[in-house]
Amino acid sequence: MKRFFYRSQQAAVGAVLLTVSLLLVMPESVRARLKSAIGGLFLPVIGISTTGQAALQSLGQLGVSETESFPTNKALAQGPGASPTVAELQHENVRLVKENNQLREEYNRLREDQGWERSIPWETKLVRVVGRDPFNWWRRIKINLGTNKEVRLNQPVISVRGELVGRISEVGPLTSWVLLVGDPNCRFSALLKESRSQGGIVSPRQYSADPRVVELTYLPNDVEVRPGQGVVTSGLGGGFPKEIPVGVVVDSWISKDGLYTEARVKLHANLNQLETVRVLTDY
Amino acid sequence: MIGAYLLVFLQSHWQWPRLWLGFQPDLTPALLVCAGLTLAAGQVSTTAMLTGLWLDSLSANPLGLSVLPLFIAGWAVFSFRELILRDELVAQFYIGTAAGAAVPLLQVWLLRLVGSNPLLGWQMGVWCLVNALLCGVAVPVFYRLAKLLDRWLSHPSHDPNRWPNENRQIVRGKN
Repeated sequence: MKRFFYRSQQAAVGAVLLTVSLLLVMPESVRARLKSAIGGLFLPVIGISTTGQAALQSLGQLGVSETESFPTNKALAQGPGASPTVAELQHENVRLVKENNQLREEYNRLREDQGWERSIPWETKLVRVVGRDPFNWWRRIKINLGTNKEVRLNQPVISVRGELVGRISEVGPLTSWVLLVGDPNCRFSALLKESRSQGGIVSPRQYSADPRVVELTYLPNDVEVRPGQGVVTSGLGGGFPKEIPVGVVVDSWISKDGLYTEARVKLHANLNQLETVRVLTDY
Repeated sequence: MIGAYLLVFLQSHWQWPRLWLGFQPDLTPALLVCAGLTLAAGQVSTTAMLTGLWLDSLSANPLGLSVLPLFIAGWAVFSFRELILRDELVAQFYIGTAAGAAVPLLQVWLLRLVGSNPLLGWQMGVWCLVNALLCGVAVPVFYRLAKLLDRWLSHPSHDPNRWPNENRQIVRGKN
């Protein structure tokens, strides 16, 4: 402990304590601006990372097309007289069937997305997820649009397939933060799709390893809550528009005081694997 | 500093550890332990300040909250490093594990102190334990990486007793 009292070390300790104290007593607005400025230091690496990922993806696609064309080239290289064996043809057939199924699934998914996009009454903006809160006790993602593209505070965010993801909680000039459903600070009103019973989705009261499970609470006791029932936003409170799909009921129970029913809801959107989301700009 | 910057960036932007482990590991305590073992007082406090500020700028934590726990971890190691067998793998692992367990607990305690309401629960204990072990593993890796970089990037210090000494030319005559 003797080392602690050296003068140069006192200066180092003092500097840290002073900085922390100043930051914690600073007005909230100044702190938010400072936070945004410091977070902006990561923009160059985010840019490099995004560009690198895109380049790798395109390289991967090139690789795939080359590999796929390989059997044909091999057959051609054997000359016009050489014919492939039955085993080779069977192998090729299995591969083509598999590929066909994958393409069909992708086509169906894209068609669904396109159809959903045409059917919704809101205007949306497609954005890329570029980061995530490094701490496990918060659930937030960072998107690559900010005030430069008219992203505003509290705008709802949905997945590409139209399931509820969260809302904008911080807006910077080039990036914004989205508070995910399941964060303690993202609460909103929801209802059971079939019975239209009002309820409020609250974040999990305890940290859960599965981020897709949240709790629906304050449901009236006379409502029958069954596993598999759909949950949608109610539109009350003005935070989210009505009828955005949220999830399905997993199980339910009467609260400890017996005044209301609570249920666990599994979210439709896989919040751990979000790459692209939609911000509702006009709703 | 560059290491801290890259580590914070990777923790925020690399998704595969979260997909594999179910949580995002936080290896910054290991980095501060490594700083405490190798750097000077000013450098330890600067590393703690910058790492904490960068971490908080990318999270919902109040700005500056992570500085103090990281600084405490780094400073504790720095203060007692003469008493620690710091080149030993096992010692590095134990210090890293202790720091990896203590820093998140301190962060949560400070969060509650400033009135924030983070998600807590018994499953977080499991996460905290695994994260502490990961920090324990990371300290030797960071320590060796730092030594390697130091050897590559800094000029070797002059040692008059080193043999063979390249600076000395022995001219031998015929006699």
